[in-house]
Amino acid sequence: MQTSRIKRLAGIWGCLGFLGLWANTANAGVFWLFDPKGVMADTDLYYMLVDVLTMGAIVGTTALLVIWFMWRYHKGKNRGSYHPEWSHSSFLEVIVWGVPIIAVGFLAYFAVRGTFELNPYDPTILTRVAKPAEKPVKVDVIATDWQWLFVYPQYHMAVANQLVLPEHRPVFFRLTSTAVTSGFFIPQLVGMIDVMPGMRTKNALESSHIGEYQGISSDYAGAGTSWMTFKTHIVGQEDFAGWVQKVQSSPTTMTEAQFNAFAMPYINVHHRVVYFSQVPSGLFDHVIMEVMHGKTWPVPPMMTENMVAYIQKQSAEHRD
Amino acid sequence: MLVQLPGGWNPLLGRLALDQIPYDNPILAPLFVAVVVGTILLFGLITYYRKWGYLWKEWLTTVDHKKLGVMYIIIGLVMLFRGFIDGLMIRTQQVWANGPHSSGVFGALHGYLTPFHFGQVYSAHGLIMILLAATPLLVGFMNIIVPIQIGARDMAYPYLNALGLWITAAAAVLIMISLFVGDFAHNGWFGYAPIFELQYSPGVGVDYWIWTLQLTALGTTLGGINLLVTIIKMRAPGMTWFRLPIFVWTSLSANIIALTSFPALQVALGLVAADRYLGSHFFTAGFGGNLMLYTNLFWIWGHPEVYFVILPAFGMMSEIFPTFSEKPLFGYVTMVAASFAIAGVSWMVWLHHFFTMGAGPQVNSFFSVATMLVGIPTGVKVFNWAFTMYRGRITYSAAMLWAIGALFMLLVGGMTGMMLAIPAINYMVHNSVFVIAHFHSMLLVIVYAIFGSVIFWFPKVFGFRLDEYWAKVMFWLFTAGSALVFVPMYMLGFMGMTRRLDYVFNPAWHPYLEVMEVGIAVYCLSVLAFVVLLYVSIRDRVKNRAGADAWGTARSLEWLAHSPVPFYNFAVTPHVNARDELAWRREHGMDALEPERYVDIHMPSNTGMALYIGALTFVLGFGLTWRIWWLSLLSLAAIILLMIIRSFRGDDGYIITGAELERMEKEALRNRAQADGKYVSGGRGQVAGTAIAYGRNGASMGGDPFNSSRDGI
Ligand code: HEM
Ligand SMILES: [Cu+2]
Repeated sequence: MQTSRIKRLAGIWGCLGFLGLWANTANAGVFWLFDPKGVMADTDLYYMLVDVLTMGAIVGTTALLVIWFMWRYHKGKNRGSYHPEWSHSSFLEVIVWGVPIIAVGFLAYFAVRGTFELNPYDPTILTRVAKPAEKPVKVDVIATDWQWLFVYPQYHMAVANQLVLPEHRPVFFRLTSTAVTSGFFIPQLVGMIDVMPGMRTKNALESSHIGEYQGISSDYAGAGTSWMTFKTHIVGQEDFAGWVQKVQSSPTTMTEAQFNAFAMPYINVHHRVVYFSQVPSGLFDHVIMEVMHGKTWPVPPMMTENMVAYIQKQSAEHRD
Repeated sequence: MLVQLPGGWNPLLGRLALDQIPYDNPILAPLFVAVVVGTILLFGLITYYRKWGYLWKEWLTTVDHKKLGVMYIIIGLVMLFRGFIDGLMIRTQQVWANGPHSSGVFGALHGYLTPFHFGQVYSAHGLIMILLAATPLLVGFMNIIVPIQIGARDMAYPYLNALGLWITAAAAVLIMISLFVGDFAHNGWFGYAPIFELQYSPGVGVDYWIWTLQLTALGTTLGGINLLVTIIKMRAPGMTWFRLPIFVWTSLSANIIALTSFPALQVALGLVAADRYLGSHFFTAGFGGNLMLYTNLFWIWGHPEVYFVILPAFGMMSEIFPTFSEKPLFGYVTMVAASFAIAGVSWMVWLHHFFTMGAGPQVNSFFSVATMLVGIPTGVKVFNWAFTMYRGRITYSAAMLWAIGALFMLLVGGMTGMMLAIPAINYMVHNSVFVIAHFHSMLLVIVYAIFGSVIFWFPKVFGFRLDEYWAKVMFWLFTAGSALVFVPMYMLGFMGMTRRLDYVFNPAWHPYLEVMEVGIAVYCLSVLAFVVLLYVSIRDRVKNRAGADAWGTARSLEWLAHSPVPFYNFAVTPHVNARDELAWRREHGMDALEPERYVDIHMPSNTGMALYIGALTFVLGFGLTWRIWWLSLLSLAAIILLMIIRSFRGDDGYIITGAELERMEKEALRNRAQADGKYVSGGRGQVAGTAIAYGRNGASMGGDPFNSSRDGI
């Protein structure tokens, strides 16, 4: 459904022969935003095309107009006639105000509709329009300085720095952070949402495309931000069940005390992934409450100043 | 001490200690040596040529709005260069530190900057470019041009004007010092709660950031008050509201924005300082703090600020287009309305900087639509410039090229701004380099307008034109650089590359990063071209000498004054008869009249007070940054004391007698005759038909312009 809306628009693009060229060539894989793999990202792209088409028509025309004026009224070339006093035309004034007003009115409709469709707390495009029949997956996302912990409360397990999700099933995220503000972003699946300490935000996604997608920490959170990436795997439903089994049989578990150690500043330069077969059921709420009561995970000055020394210290403490 | 400080503190030096000087840093140490050598050389040269007296009398203690404006512009250009070097460092780090196999030097895992250092570089880059390059450059132009355009003798408060300049200079020095003493903030130019809290940023960097911003906010606010009063009260007789040049209108709207929004920034920073110095919890995550409050407060100022810098640029373009199209501006009234519409809407859109913070769809919708409303007056402006060229006679001088470049940049920036304004799109590109490309397009509008203005108004201030050839070379190099840097950046935005990465994890992005690096090299060439431009122009200054109307087709009042403008601007205040006064006078043969008689005029005297207070604000900022309490208190007390002394002593100004004035005018007219050969010495007189050339006794619309200097704050 969403995809067909996009196809129609992409067809127009093709005619215009612009961006469509990009999106339809083998290059598309590189342009993550033009190669969405889930309902949410799909819808984002749809609105982008609507906006770019509308604005592009106006901006493009204006640019051509300006270029034409530049050519025609070039002094000494005598192409257009010179009217030294002409500076007002009620007709043109109506046009110059009218065109932007109509364009903005038109786009405003789409802007509001899109905002509701993609509302991260209740994306109606997912919950009312696409309405996947399968049982939802819940994931509690806890960002630390500088790792991601994905808790699967339905399966009483957690995974650090890797997100594995089944195809066709809607996924609902709750997100919080321990230390500072960060951002959760999987370009091909879902847009950004802030992840803030002492607070809970939400997001959701659904994908029917098996594959591996890059997850990014999209907001600057300190020295380790650039390494705070994670891979998202959309897998078949059976594979997902198998993977859950694998995590649940991992020897590593996590308690609240262990979580506090895990959340100590850590730069994940080796992209370490850890499976935790057991997590306390209320970990997510517990983290929020602790932060609200003033818990912090301070950053040692040396880590910010000399990262190499810090990494050495980090490995000396066997934390990587 | 109300807060727990990591590291030492002592009563004498505060947190300052020898190990805070990065003498072992392979990048900063050589730079430091270069700066010291350069400074010594400069001071030596000044001493050798015995120029200290000249410097002191003519520049450091001046209250002349044109000289203050020139100094603003010099600060702006120097900081623009510093900011450019930061940009070069950012681009170099990203192209180097790309992919897991990239090498690393100087203690960095990848590239040559450690994450914390990289954070400081881009934070300083953003802060400098917006507040210490764009803002002083624009304030400088407003300072120089607005009073002449409205036929005033000086600003309403000449002393306040000097104070604003020296406080801005203090801010510039403070951020430069942070290079060599301690470090700078790493939390981006706009700061982030709670990362700027003491637990997550234990060094002095954030403190430097707070006090630099506070000083620029103070300086800009003082300048804003001054410009508003000047425009409202100091217009020459006949300069009614609807005869104001558009640049004056945009300065007015811009400064209304500044005056009403800067307080929000100062409060926000005050609260950050309270958190860091007093241990309060305004923006902490715990203990009832609200970190989202900071983001709101900052952008309540931050968004209006971006319009504060773009509006004067729009005004500049509106002066350049008509001059080189030989036609009045199309839709003057519309242009004024659009400027105020932009200003008005700019207060209601701040939330578009954080659509992703998780507000409900109703709130996001409201701010989305409000943001798009800005597109309407912006679009109107573009159309008006286009129709100014329509049916005109366009000369492609260098100034015009820069203005046209600005117009095209605005099309790109406006287009992408309208994309960002829609939350559904914004979720995908917020915090990506797409946003960076958007606002650089917009800031490039400003840079283009500024370079256009430098060329356009240079002859007014210095009496000779800049070299056209080199100005065009610079234009094309700069444009090529912009295209090479920002087209790939937009593309990377569509690829999902987020901003502020000191290590770029995706090797597929490498070609684009490389093209951008080439673009930076081309930018370097344009900087060189600018230097050559200045050199060549100064060398050929006699050949390029300009008459009052340097372009022959200029339209507004400032072109009636001599070039260079004498320190008293107009010997006798002109009477304004039309919207494009000079064009009107040219038509009526009144553009080279000499007044019948000269009367005494009253000018404000020089004062060193502004410089002293400015220097003390720097000391205060430095003392607070390092928590040297005695120094902070002492400098604060000294500032208050100087203010009290100044308020008692006042400034009676001095009188230039009519005879003296006549002599200076004769001299200026002789020069002018040589320059443009246009001056007709027979054309003496005050009245031609029903038109009036000069106001009686130099009275202005809003009262005696010279008295106000006496009660200058
Ligand atoms: C048509 C008018 C404009 C619209 C609709 C618009 C829209 C936006 C939006 C929605 C954002 C937020 C992007 C994000 O962070 O997700 C933004 C960012 C920004 N805009 Fe604009 N904008 C416009 C004009 C301007 C102008 C005239 C300037 C001035 C130079 C400007 C400078 C900036 C800056 C500096 C930022 C980003 C600040 C940062 O995050 O560091 N914009 N713009
Ligand atoms: Cu904004």
